[in-house]
Amino acid sequence: MTVYLRQVAAIVRKDLLLEVRTGERLAAMGALTVLVAVLFHFAIDQGLVRMQLLAAGLIWMTILFGGMLGMGRTFEMEREQGAIQGLLTSPVPLDGIYLAKVVSNFVLVTLIEVVALAAYWLFFGFNYGNDPLLLAGVLGVATLGFVAVTTLFSAISAQTNMGQTLLPILIFPLLVPVVIFGVTATGRIFASRPVQEVEGSLYLLAAFTVVALTAGTILFRYVVEE
Amino acid sequence: MPAAAAASRAGLPVLEAASLVRDYGPVRAVNQVSFRLGAGEFLSVFGPNGAGKTSLLRLLAGGLRPTSGEVRVSGIPLTVGDRAARARIGILSHLSFLYGRLTARENLRFYGRLHGLDDLDSRVPDRLADVGLERYADSPVDTLSRGTVQRLAVARALLHDPEIVLLDEPYTGLDAYAAAMLQELLSALKDGGRTVVMVTHNLGRGLEVADRVAIQVRGSFVFEAARTDLDAAGLERSYRRAVEGRA
Repeated sequence: MTVYLRQVAAIVRKDLLLEVRTGERLAAMGALTVLVAVLFHFAIDQGLVRMQLLAAGLIWMTILFGGMLGMGRTFEMEREQGAIQGLLTSPVPLDGIYLAKVVSNFVLVTLIEVVALAAYWLFFGFNYGNDPLLLAGVLGVATLGFVAVTTLFSAISAQTNMGQTLLPILIFPLLVPVVIFGVTATGRIFASRPVQEVEGSLYLLAAFTVVALTAGTILFRYVVEE
Repeated sequence: MPAAAAASRAGLPVLEAASLVRDYGPVRAVNQVSFRLGAGEFLSVFGPNGAGKTSLLRLLAGGLRPTSGEVRVSGIPLTVGDRAARARIGILSHLSFLYGRLTARENLRFYGRLHGLDDLDSRVPDRLADVGLERYADSPVDTLSRGTVQRLAVARALLHDPEIVLLDEPYTGLDAYAAAMLQELLSALKDGGRTVVMVTHNLGRGLEVADRVAIQVRGSFVFEAARTDLDAAGLERSYRRAVEGRA
């Protein structure tokens, strides 16, 4: 493993260890995810609406809300005792810090997705189709795009007094492609449609993710440098 | 310290600030600061709040981009994000840069990995022993006293054997015992041939370990002297004159 990858792995490991010790972000994200599912359960008259048709949309909105809650605090743990200065003045390249944060956020959001799928299955009995691998692939690619954008903007918002308030306003417009192509792809997987009907959305999600990751890697430097 | 020694042999300063300027919008935090330090030299910088001392230190650490001028490490200009130069610099601040929920050992191992160190199994216990914290190795940092955390921060700053050590108000919040222990550690740094820049409000402590002193007011060095040319009373007078003269 190169020094670069070991540095990235060290930050990921530290972030996840802190999350395991504190549970701060994961508990809040998990609770919101379940609460949103509960609220939808009571807010929609299931006698009038075929819930399965809404499954992909409900799940994605829940993931975005739950994920946003935790992603907004990505750099909070680094502000404690000025640890961010320790990172920024270490020999780790700035893009390495960004990539490490993306990876640790990806792990957290993936856990939230498992919670969301379980909650919706419990409350609505959703059918998730017959291709779990394809579903995992779509969720993985879309999640990577989501956290790539959100991690960059949480670094921006961490430097403002209204960061937590501003973050959703800044981010949601940029996440429209994730919502459109993520909902389309997962909806078709839930409906057990052929792979060919999912491919188009998956490719567009992948393109969005590549662009988001590349932009984040380049722009992170300008966000944290003074 | 091969690079520092080589620089010293070549007659190059280990750390050099050349006409450093840093503006934050219309405010000039650092104004035309220049100095040269060789291996084993210790510069103490004093100044009132808002004098630009911390900005100066961040410029020297490569964590802040100068508006003009440059920092040179062994004659090579330091750029923001310069990985090689950063590996040669250790920073100790009044903030510890440590994670409260990690243990002392975990914190040091984390920073060791960031520096790409391979011998952490032996190096981390050694550094903990250097600052007398072996018995706190597995204690979460949150449970340690302020003085103990600062000693751990010293171990963190020196973990990778930096040639240049930058200290930002390291005495803040320390009791007399912890401050005395830190003072011993700073003297050991100088004796070990490290180049040190310390910014502090504490005239007595700063003067005691320094080879050279400077007083920074409104971004500029308004007074500079060698330690040998100055006693505590003289520094006190110079400080008052410098600060009041610019008030």
